[in-house]
Amino acid sequence: MSLIQIQNLSKHFKILNRREGLSGAFKDLFSGDFRSVKAVDGISFDINAGEIVGYIGPNGAGKSTTIKMMTGILKPTDGTILINDHVPYTNRIKQAQIMGVVFGQRTQLWWDLPVIESFKILKEIYKVDQKTFDRHMDMFNELVGLKALYSQQARTLSLGQRMLCDITASFLHNPQVVFLDEPTIGLDISVKAKIRTVIKELNRERNTTIILTTHDLGDVEALCHRIIIIDKGKILYDGDIKKVNALFGAYRTIKVQINDFNETTIASLKNKLTERFGKDHGIIVAETEEFWTDVTIDQARTPLSDVLGFVMSNFAVSDVRIVEISMENVVQQVYDGALG
Amino acid sequence: MRKYMAVLRGTAMVGMVYRFGYFFAIIGNLLYIGIVYFLWKSIYQGRETLRGLTFNETMIYIALGSTVFFLLKTYADWIIHYEIREGIIATYLIKPMDFQLYALFAVLGSTAMNIFAISIPTILFMIFVLKISFATGIGLLLFPLSFIFALVISFCIDFFVGLMGFYSESVWGISSVKEIILMFFSGALVPLQFFPEAIRNILFWLPFQAVFHTPLMMVTKPDSGLSTFIPMLAVQVFWTIALIVLTRLFYNQAIKVLRISGG
Repeated sequence: MSLIQIQNLSKHFKILNRREGLSGAFKDLFSGDFRSVKAVDGISFDINAGEIVGYIGPNGAGKSTTIKMMTGILKPTDGTILINDHVPYTNRIKQAQIMGVVFGQRTQLWWDLPVIESFKILKEIYKVDQKTFDRHMDMFNELVGLKALYSQQARTLSLGQRMLCDITASFLHNPQVVFLDEPTIGLDISVKAKIRTVIKELNRERNTTIILTTHDLGDVEALCHRIIIIDKGKILYDGDIKKVNALFGAYRTIKVQINDFNETTIASLKNKLTERFGKDHGIIVAETEEFWTDVTIDQARTPLSDVLGFVMSNFAVSDVRIVEISMENVVQQVYDGALG
Repeated sequence: MRKYMAVLRGTAMVGMVYRFGYFFAIIGNLLYIGIVYFLWKSIYQGRETLRGLTFNETMIYIALGSTVFFLLKTYADWIIHYEIREGIIATYLIKPMDFQLYALFAVLGSTAMNIFAISIPTILFMIFVLKISFATGIGLLLFPLSFIFALVISFCIDFFVGLMGFYSESVWGISSVKEIILMFFSGALVPLQFFPEAIRNILFWLPFQAVFHTPLMMVTKPDSGLSTFIPMLAVQVFWTIALIVLTRLFYNQAIKVLRISGG
């Protein structure tokens, strides 16, 4: 039996069509001109206990709405959700006991209080006994060294510290499922790495099911075996990450700024690359913005260092950037049938 | 229940964090009482009573009035409205807690803190520095009970207004109207004795005077006798229950709107 079962889930919002200007705003007071927006439009999936699932999609795809329905905040317009065989929104208080949620943009810590007090209050709210609480805090202290922060007010924490504390808080009552909504938003690489380690460790140690929504494909790559891609309220892909990995994992774009760039530069670059790496190199060369040439490579076929070295030694390059493929790009490629 | 007590402790602690706020609140309060003291002292010069009230009684009414009124302002309307508007309410709805009880205990925590940090020092100042003597009587015993009822009623009214945030994006107007009605009809602006008899009889049955006038009566005229206090308490009990039921119904309805239309 799956821990989370979702069947044909839909959520439609009624939105008032607002008019422009002051007179428009006045007319809106009496307006009945609503349009229906399908935030989530008939999705179905099952998630087993102990899975880490990446739930990804561009902004406005319907990720947060789905999470809000799973946590019982929103009621579905249509379809069913069962978590541990219960409907989240009919028995919210009981269901909340088995869930943990981190909203990356919000904190559940008490803003004005030392962090440890927030944990103590949550301990009471979730009825966690002292022994479990101590063990949990010790474990987190070992993982990320939180003890030094205990006496600080939450508002004085850095974004990364706050996020680590929020994650600690969401796992405090040992929930069966944890929803992480953009847990790495706005964080630097080292904190991201720390957070990924913590999530992985908790999943391994306690077999906690984790639903992770993120914009950072690095998170997905590091944590998830399974990925669900959603856009415009519909599921585009649900399956093994390995298949999707080919779309973003192996691809890198080397952006180079070549001195004395002219019309022939791209053609000559293409020719030289074919000479060096053979016909089947899978390298795409394009000029995307002024002065920048994009060389997109598939690392499975040609090593990044070889191509980079080759370009650098054959052309006078004044600037280089290496970028990962973006979420929007992946979604576009999925639309274009990249996953068959 | 323990979880709500933890919330109460939490908001009480938040109060302590801002100890400078209390420091200035106490100073302001004492300053106010000091000014009132000297003002009325000069008015009473050479007179025993004014309109049947002695200097001592007037002082108690004014000083305790401002203290009680301050304690009974919960600000729950502003807080809840803000939480709805900013979507912070979502972080409460994912907890195994009733939101209304949560909000009530949050108010109780900060009120408890205000009592210890502001009201008690003010009263001690009145007794030991200004040498004001308080009358004693059965009312003083009933006061804590009456105060709790008043606080719950005040909270329910504010909670009700705050919930309007689900329907209206600004509760500023509603809140201001509420404030004025409450000030006027509770006797905080003009003592109820100055109202015409007929209106006073109607006001007796409304929740407004149960918020302010009733607990204040218990401390300013504690020797009024049970025959005065019992009906007043009965009205408080009635409104406490009625408003709890009413806000509960409204809350269930409002939360349904949230569930359906999003925050």
